[in-house]
Amino acid sequence: MSEFHLTEDQQDCLQELINVAMGQASDQLARYLDTFVYLKVPSIESVDGKELISTLSQQQNTMAVVSQGFFGYEGIRGEALLAYQEEDSGRIADLLGYEPEELSQDEQLIDISSILTTTFLNVFARQIDNQMSYNAPKLLPSVQNSLSEHLQQMTFNWDLALKVNINYQVTDYSFNCNMILLIPETAIINIKNVLDRILEDF
Amino acid sequence: MFDVNELISPLATEQTSLSEDVLKKINRQIANQLNTGVLVLDEAFNIVIWNRFLQVHTDKFGADIIGQSIFQAFPELPERWLTRKLMSVMQLNTPNFCSWEQRHHLFELPHTRPITTDSEFMAQNCTFLPIVTESSCKHICILIEDVTDVCHYQGQLQKALEELAQMSRIDGLTQIYNRRHWQESLEQEFAKAKRHSKSLSLVMLDLDYFKLLNDNYGHQCGDMVLIEVSKLIGSLLRVEDIFGRYGGEEFAIILPETDLSGAIELAERICSAVAKKSLEYNGEEINVTISLGVAQLRNKEVSYEGLISQADSALYQAKAEGRNKVCSSSTSVAEV
Repeated sequence: MSEFHLTEDQQDCLQELINVAMGQASDQLARYLDTFVYLKVPSIESVDGKELISTLSQQQNTMAVVSQGFFGYEGIRGEALLAYQEEDSGRIADLLGYEPEELSQDEQLIDISSILTTTFLNVFARQIDNQMSYNAPKLLPSVQNSLSEHLQQMTFNWDLALKVNINYQVTDYSFNCNMILLIPETAIINIKNVLDRILEDF
Repeated sequence: MFDVNELISPLATEQTSLSEDVLKKINRQIANQLNTGVLVLDEAFNIVIWNRFLQVHTDKFGADIIGQSIFQAFPELPERWLTRKLMSVMQLNTPNFCSWEQRHHLFELPHTRPITTDSEFMAQNCTFLPIVTESSCKHICILIEDVTDVCHYQGQLQKALEELAQMSRIDGLTQIYNRRHWQESLEQEFAKAKRHSKSLSLVMLDLDYFKLLNDNYGHQCGDMVLIEVSKLIGSLLRVEDIFGRYGGEEFAIILPETDLSGAIELAERICSAVAKKSLEYNGEEINVTISLGVAQLRNKEVSYEGLISQADSALYQAKAEGRNKVCSSSTSVAEV
């Protein structure tokens, strides 16, 4: 167990923070999308960097991946990856309230990704008295294995990745995606400090 | 939640020597010297602030712009789409983005590289930020970055990559497909024909007495013959046929969805066209002939290499039978 791994308490605390963030985020989304959003409790895993690459490359028919960097105070930073399967992408324009001819499929994916990422991370940041800024979201080039290639090319070293599986069920639309938060080593230490502070307050 | 003022304010409190007034002037000057367009809208999407960058690029007067709806001031904006986008910023309190890669530009602004780029308007990355000053008062800040250079160089890179990919498929001398690409194509066509139970034929051909031609007239003459014969054969093919240079003076043609009789017919046509064509080198008339071997994919064939060797042996047969003719592996088809 390295210094980057979360203790059981820290893991529980993070799960709780993410549950709350996800709940509030989906509430906001439901109001924005003007429809009911059913949300399963997100499953959170912290996975080893190397394991993640093999897990993801096993994941079949990942159609598109959208990446978006985030950074806040106290050295909390990382990259959110949203992975979509072929069958998830059919009615995103509809879901977002656009006419299909108003924007391309790529733009739809980028738009929904940005909304999911920033809504969730904003609430998460608020809970830890932080504030996030974001890079513009980018669609990774759609080649096979683009995800593992992207991970290998990343400029910062990271050992641990938080894998958050989100499953949104929207009335009339079925929509699924995987959110993966990649957190570089130094930022993990910073998150652990924040978690410890929250745990002390209890 | 995301608030530019809030991000700046720690600076202000730390530097107590600056008065509120001086700080305001500094902020205003920075905003006006930024090489980024700054546009602030109120809840009804009316323009409340804009910076010098936008003023000089739009060539409009501030007095006309301030208070106007963004859609009135910039009629080129896609109103319905942008309204929905701005709504998401307001309602979710989250930033939103628009990249040149999906939309080249939102605002029709001139750029500063009119000579070296081919687009009329400035390529833009736009960021939409929620600004909350008081609980009841919301604004949206739109940042417009000029990325004409990025867009231009990305286009150049894309073009260079496409040329490179094209070059890696083409034989430098004859400008038809090279061996590597031709063989990859055969592998694909072989798989397709197998999967859909479609017929597939192959023609291998070789220039007759090519070594003699090189010895008598020189290699430049040999090159000319290779180029001219390739051109002639290419003109006799359908678009879906795949024509490549297999080696030195040997060529090969993949004929998808073509049976043996169709392939033989085409091969005969090519054979007589080449024999009839008279070429000229240094004022001298040169006549060449070719020999061709034809084969059709058999059911029992498990690899594309088998098809090549069938066509190849038919080609050797044509050579052995006196050249300038077509032979097919029809005997072996009959055996199946």
